[in-house]
Amino acid sequence: MKKIILLITLVLTLSAEVKVGDTVSNFKLPYLYDTSKTVSLKSNAGKVTLVNLWASWCSGCKEEMPLFVDLQKKYKNSDFRIILSSVDKKKKKSIKFLNKVDKNKVLLSVYDKEKTLPKEYKALGMPSSYLLDKNLKIIKIFVGSLDDNAMKELEEQIDKLLGK
Amino acid sequence: MKKMLLLVFVIIFTGCSDKLVRVMPYEKENFAEDKMSYSPLADRSEQEGHVFLIREASAGGESAFQGGCGCR
Repeated sequence: MKKIILLITLVLTLSAEVKVGDTVSNFKLPYLYDTSKTVSLKSNAGKVTLVNLWASWCSGCKEEMPLFVDLQKKYKNSDFRIILSSVDKKKKKSIKFLNKVDKNKVLLSVYDKEKTLPKEYKALGMPSSYLLDKNLKIIKIFVGSLDDNAMKELEEQIDKLLGK
Repeated sequence: MKKMLLLVFVIIFTGCSDKLVRVMPYEKENFAEDKMSYSPLADRSEQEGHVFLIREASAGGESAFQGGCGCR
C-alpha cells in the first residue's frame, strides 16, 4: 500500500507545473526567421534569460511585445536576453507580427510548432514568461501579459540578478 | 487486490487530468478566431462567455485572450 501511495505521489509530482526555484532543462528549437538554424537555451548560458511563450492569436501576448522590445534595448549591452517562443501553427503569422513591432530583430525568436515548451512548463496561461538566472533556475513566473507594475518588478529582478 | 487498487487510482486520477478535461491555454488558436466568438460585439461576447462558463460549469474553451488563466 505504501508503494502505491508513493507511486501516485510521484506521478502527481511529475505532472505538476514548473515553479519558482526549479531548474529548467535545455531546449533546442528552430530559429523563427530561419528554421534551418537552431537556438538552444544553453547557448545563452551565463546570461539572465526571460523565456516568453506567445502566439500571434493571443491578444495579451501582442500587447506586451513592444514592452519586451524596449526592455531588450535597455539591457542591450548586458547579460540579459529575451527569448520568444512562438506556438503559432503557421510561423509566418508570428513573423508578420514581429516585423511590425520588432523591425530590428532585437528579440531572439524561436519557433515551437509542437508546443514543447508550454507542455513541459505546463503553462497556465498565454502569454507566460519565465525569468531564469544564469544557472537556468526559475526566479519568477509571470502568467498573463505584463502591465507597468509587473515590468517594474521584472526590471528590479533583472538588475538584482545582474548584480547592478 | 493491490493491482486492482492501483488501476482504480490511475483511472480516477486520469479522469481528473487537466489535459483531458480542458483545452490548455496554448492550444486555443482555433478558439481565437473571430468566427468562434459568441457575438460579433466584443463586450457582448465577453458577457455571454462569462454566463456560459457559469451556467455550464465549463472552463477553458470560450476565449483566447490571456488564455483563460483568470489573471485578467
